[in-house]
Amino acid sequence: MINVARYHLVQPVLFVTLPLAILAFLFAVNAARGGDTWRDGLAVIFLYFFIMGVQRAGGRWLPFGLALGATRRSFYAGTALLGVSMSLVYGLVIAGLQAIERATGGWGLSITFFRVPYLLNGPWYATWLTSFVGLSALFVYGMWYGIVNRRWGMLGLLAFVAVQVPAGIAVAFARTWSGVGGPHPSLSVLGLTGVLAALTVVILAGGHATIRRATV
Amino acid sequence: MLRRLVLVREDQVYPDFKVCHALRAASFCYPNWDAGLASSLLKDYRVRAGKAIKGLSRGQRSALGITIGLAARAEVTLFDEPYAGLDAVARQVFYDRLLADFAAFPRTVLLSTHLIDEAAALFENVVVIDRGRVVLDAAADGLRGMVTTVSGPVLAVDSFTAGRPVWERRGLGSQASVVIVGQVSGDDRERARSLGLDLTPLSLQQLVVRASGRSAGADSLTERTWA
Repeated sequence: MINVARYHLVQPVLFVTLPLAILAFLFAVNAARGGDTWRDGLAVIFLYFFIMGVQRAGGRWLPFGLALGATRRSFYAGTALLGVSMSLVYGLVIAGLQAIERATGGWGLSITFFRVPYLLNGPWYATWLTSFVGLSALFVYGMWYGIVNRRWGMLGLLAFVAVQVPAGIAVAFARTWSGVGGPHPSLSVLGLTGVLAALTVVILAGGHATIRRATV
Repeated sequence: MLRRLVLVREDQVYPDFKVCHALRAASFCYPNWDAGLASSLLKDYRVRAGKAIKGLSRGQRSALGITIGLAARAEVTLFDEPYAGLDAVARQVFYDRLLADFAAFPRTVLLSTHLIDEAAALFENVVVIDRGRVVLDAAADGLRGMVTTVSGPVLAVDSFTAGRPVWERRGLGSQASVVIVGQVSGDDRERARSLGLDLTPLSLQQLVVRASGRSAGADSLTERTWA
């Protein structure tokens, strides 16, 4: 399992350099445009984790992982472990940058980038927790998509999307993100984070059940 | 158990990374990984470690698979037709390196191949599968000299093969060619020579062809070989 995580990290550019570069680029664009015009740039890093999950579980990493003696289960566990660990790190990065942004009055330019209304706007540890859970959820959710695609192809993917209730976690996340009517007025951010964490566990179990008979 | 297994297959799919990445990934999956062996094999096959795997030729990709399979020194090594796109010289390199490394570090190696005679010398055990059915399962040493073609004048052939299990009989005018099962003793050879008969042991490949063709004969052969 640890070996699978190390196997994914054999090319660290995709886990370290690229997401940080994207983040820096979006931040720069945001700053150049005056700071307050496009605040959803941070969402891209969440999308990145989703795509990463799809690619790692559904792409070409599984076949070679199995050749190196991993089982489907250990591959799944190792990949998820890596995604969750990376989420922990990136959550901390977001929380840290948010703290700096707050302390410097928006980097001295009134830029709002790492502060997201309702969702990521509390103390640093709340931001860390919420972004950690959000990134993890999207990563394992992406993994499940990748596995469904590997096992049943495009038709399976369509069916997979169709059976999910419209208020799936991605939608809920996007809705609360933009601040347009949260999931429920009485639900606090930490409450939402708890719901997301529970969903993540369900998704993990679902993906685990799906990969068992995936062909390579 | 699986952690000690390496699988090298003909159509292995690799992630979009370089040769050195694949080697590094393999190196921490196998405790007995031999980096020196890996780099010397890649050098033999003229595969550069810095090259992207998708930019490799078919043969180079096979060479990479072979390199990983051998350098892993896993307890169980599975080679599933590992040499697509490799020429005869490169295949010989594979056989030589496999034998040398196997001699130094004995372990279980399972090699599936269609190039039977070429690889015949490597085997300790031979299993032939035809359309999902095992038609032959025997120790390679037991198979050598186990099946012989006797050819010559019909009468002489008939007298020589009388009482022996016969696999196949072909006649062409006054000449006959009969495939018999069982060891041929020195006395037998003497007798064959005096009768003017030719004795030719079947190669493993010919044996396999016949075993796939007639399973009844193969069954009796299997029994004999195991006995």
